[in-house]
Amino acid sequence: MTFARDSYRTVVVGAGIVGLFTAYHLARAGGGPILVVDRGFLSSGASGRNGGGVRQQWETRGTVRLARESVQAYRRFGLEFGFNIWFRQSGYLFLAENEGELARLRNVHALVASEGLPSKVLDGDGIAQLIEGIAPGAAVGGTYLESDGLLYPFPALWGVYEAVRSLGVEVALGVEAHGVEVRDGKVAGLLTSKGPVATSTVVNAAGGWSGDLSRRSGLEVPNVATRHEILATEALKPFLDPMVVRVSDGLYFSQSMRGEVIGGLTLPHRPGTSRGQGSSPAFLTTMARALVGLVPRLGSVGVLRAWSGFYDDTPDGFPVIGEDPRLPGFVHGNGFGGHGFMLAPATSRRIALAALGQPTDLDPAQFSPRRFLAPTPVATVERLQLG
Amino acid sequence: MVGEPDRQFSFRGRPRSARKGETLLSVLSRDRIPLLHRSIQYHRPQGPLCGIGHCTGCLVRVNGRPNVRACRYEPTSGDSVTTENAWPSPSWDLLGAIGLLMPGGVDSLHGLRRPAVATRLYQRLVRRLAGTGEPPTDAVSRALSAPAVERSPEVVVIGAGEAGRSVAAALAARGITPVVVERGLHPPTTDGAELLGATTAVFLPPPAETGERRFTLLAFREPAQGVRIDARSVVVATGGYDASLLFGGNDRPGVLTADAALALAAPSRPPPFHEAVVVGGGRRAAEVLSSCGDAVTAVVAPGEIRPEVVRAASDRGILLYPRSLLLRAGGRKHVRSVRLRARGGGSETTIACDAIVLAHRRVPHAQLFFQSGAAMEWRPGVGAYAPTVSANGATSVPGLFASGSVAGISPSEFAHHAETVADAVVRGVGPTGSAPSPTPDVAATELVGYYRELLRVPGHGRWVACPCVDVLVAEVERAVRSGYRGIEVVKRYTSLGSGICQGRYCLPDALLLLSILEDRPPAEVGYITQRPPVVPIPLAALASLPNPPALEVHP
Ligand SMILES: Cc1cc2nc3c(=O)[nH]c(=O)nc-3n(C[C@H](O)[C@H](O)[C@H](O)COP(=O)(O)OP(=O)(O)OC[C@H]3O[C@@H](n4cnc5c(N)ncnc54)[C@H](O)[C@@H]3O)c2cc1C
Repeated sequence: MTFARDSYRTVVVGAGIVGLFTAYHLARAGGGPILVVDRGFLSSGASGRNGGGVRQQWETRGTVRLARESVQAYRRFGLEFGFNIWFRQSGYLFLAENEGELARLRNVHALVASEGLPSKVLDGDGIAQLIEGIAPGAAVGGTYLESDGLLYPFPALWGVYEAVRSLGVEVALGVEAHGVEVRDGKVAGLLTSKGPVATSTVVNAAGGWSGDLSRRSGLEVPNVATRHEILATEALKPFLDPMVVRVSDGLYFSQSMRGEVIGGLTLPHRPGTSRGQGSSPAFLTTMARALVGLVPRLGSVGVLRAWSGFYDDTPDGFPVIGEDPRLPGFVHGNGFGGHGFMLAPATSRRIALAALGQPTDLDPAQFSPRRFLAPTPVATVERLQLG
Repeated sequence: MVGEPDRQFSFRGRPRSARKGETLLSVLSRDRIPLLHRSIQYHRPQGPLCGIGHCTGCLVRVNGRPNVRACRYEPTSGDSVTTENAWPSPSWDLLGAIGLLMPGGVDSLHGLRRPAVATRLYQRLVRRLAGTGEPPTDAVSRALSAPAVERSPEVVVIGAGEAGRSVAAALAARGITPVVVERGLHPPTTDGAELLGATTAVFLPPPAETGERRFTLLAFREPAQGVRIDARSVVVATGGYDASLLFGGNDRPGVLTADAALALAAPSRPPPFHEAVVVGGGRRAAEVLSSCGDAVTAVVAPGEIRPEVVRAASDRGILLYPRSLLLRAGGRKHVRSVRLRARGGGSETTIACDAIVLAHRRVPHAQLFFQSGAAMEWRPGVGAYAPTVSANGATSVPGLFASGSVAGISPSEFAHHAETVADAVVRGVGPTGSAPSPTPDVAATELVGYYRELLRVPGHGRWVACPCVDVLVAEVERAVRSGYRGIEVVKRYTSLGSGICQGRYCLPDALLLLSILEDRPPAEVGYITQRPPVVPIPLAALASLPNPPALEVHP
């Protein structure tokens, strides 16, 4: 089987949460016919491998706003898409181990609060009340925002997938994009493992592989794929409500609706996608030590499974949204680092607008692909790349 | 051991006693297979299915430590053992009403999705119902920590069954002292090797990319001691396990695999049943008959019954039902009967019994090969993936070898194969010659036809496809009807295989089921990603291990 048509108005590469949401907004705006291709199965990328955390605590106003809008979208998700994503607004708790880290978190708090979100600064006692069994003295303080939370990623994917299909979007799984076909300096089609398709617009929503796709399309981009590992324990009765993130080492963990403790931390893996999405003994031991050190009671709990996925990192910590000025018709919707699920609803609306050639309200200095082409380095940086 | 006093402990507040070397499960199974556990969503009564430390059926709480497998735990004096996830007790669990009120299952994907005021309360309730044990206390977890065990032998052999012991002996004869890792709690010693018993190998990533290309194996010794072994070569002889089967009530107390039956009947104890129905007509069924045949009333097989089983059965007056569909287990909290139908739409029969022993299909314990990145192949005979192995036991990963039944070697060939493998290990040679042909198991290849018939039985949708997570067959059918294809995505859509046994018992059947529902061969339904660890490893055990230098990953 190849494709239902020879040509499409837009082809989206990647059926992760970003690609699917983008196709959804395109279809609703009447931007059809639309084709989504993905070389794997549904949920095979980072969208099926993440921690399900959704937070609005960020270090830059632009990100806080996108996150806040996404939280509202996820609250409505059940009604809009007919799937229960178990969105639980039980907070994100950032932990500081020293005064320096706490000062940084206070700044985060000030920014977040100035956007009308009721974030709180907690001392060690306040934190001990939120993490039953935390080791004494493990944190000097932190910030907490109760309307942050967790969701179950899979039903979110199924919901948007079924919605786009019923809007007439064609989703072709098991099809790899090899790069774009360029004519007269513009996108004319997409080359795929199932042959070429004609289109004037390609959206690169290929997650950790987006840099590969851009480069295979002749565009140098600074996106870097980094492997991040994660594990889940046996299911326990509820003892922990918020997602916990530690500033020093990026340790994060939460307890899922099913009772598993799910979490990870950042290790210096070699960048690139070539070494697969697997696990390492170093992660298991480092993560176990961090977790048991912080919450000693977890020592006798068994690790059920471990896996990993790719973050799609950018130098300034902002995603890349918009048409590439070097190649008309090539639209970026990538560079989400470790936080694309929580930002997908709000950002995908803008990616769709860009694909339709319409202006967005995003600050180009922070989000446009143009920012990496400027001779001077980018000014603003979103550094809260934790959890 | 003479005069060793019995160990006095309490079970749900009542005094019990255990002899040395006896597991908690075998103490609790003295009269019959016990009801220790309730399923995670619907609170159906569940019994110990596997007896070898994988399933949910015997999870208990010991001295405040949750999710302890009774089949892997030997009580010590003063222990306090309680049950989990049932109120007031597993036998009379009021939450069992959930299952009765919602016989079609809870649709957690589409149900209750409105952001109503009640959501928060409702989510609290769901969280309360989910999970198995209460979290442990600090004291319990601290008491478990022990210094790690580290070894750096030339060769590590995983599994001290007949095959693993033969390889260890063959290596010893060639001047190598291997470390042998064995999961069993009391393995027999192996001359010329260092034996680590009660130790489960959980993670074998690909070897280091540089230097000597050594392997790093993570393991743990009961209850929570971390073990790390660095070796130049690894020989995996992990054998296989008895698979589950789909039918109504397939996780009710009294349904158990041959592994469990043989473990509970050994060494000189009467089995925990008196009139069992054995499922299967091949070698494994014959083994069950020879060890507990006096407590068996009937043999039921999906296909033909082999002459050796017929002979063993006729000596004891055991009834034979070849080519039969097993429809359902009768009895509410314990198996009391089994309902059969002759294949091809024949007549139905009910047999009274107090246990159903599954001995129809053995599947290789192949997780470590998946982890190490070894090339795997579909074995149609057993309906599962196993490593591609050449005649000398070499896999596609240099330095990684397989022997015994996980390599498709039949027991009569174990000793001979061990010599060949030992030679190859010593000389460090890679794959040679052609692979031995795995022993075909007639019953397993027939299972696709068997399941095809079963899927026409009215009411099969309510059967449990995944006992750990309580996924019903109807949910799998719904996923396929909604356009989801392939085991990987159906697994994620239904949550099948994401529970405590990590799909060991449901995925082999799910592959066959999907092959029928999707109308393509089982091998095309997909490759099941097997993620580490092989069995849950306590965080304390991992935390005690020194960090390996490199960040190697498994593919
Ligand atoms: C361990 C981990 C934890 C995380 N935790 C969180 C969290 O708590 N909260 C949060 O918001 N985010 C989290 N993230 C990040 C989040 O998962 C991602 O940012 C998000 O899922 C990205 O979605 P996507 O659609 O852009 O990419 P993906 O979901 O990766 O989808 C990209 C798709 O593109 C396909 N593809 C790639 N190249 C090609 C090609 N050439 N041809 C065809 N198809 C192609 C891939 O097969 C894939 O399906 C986490 C990520 C990881 C790895």
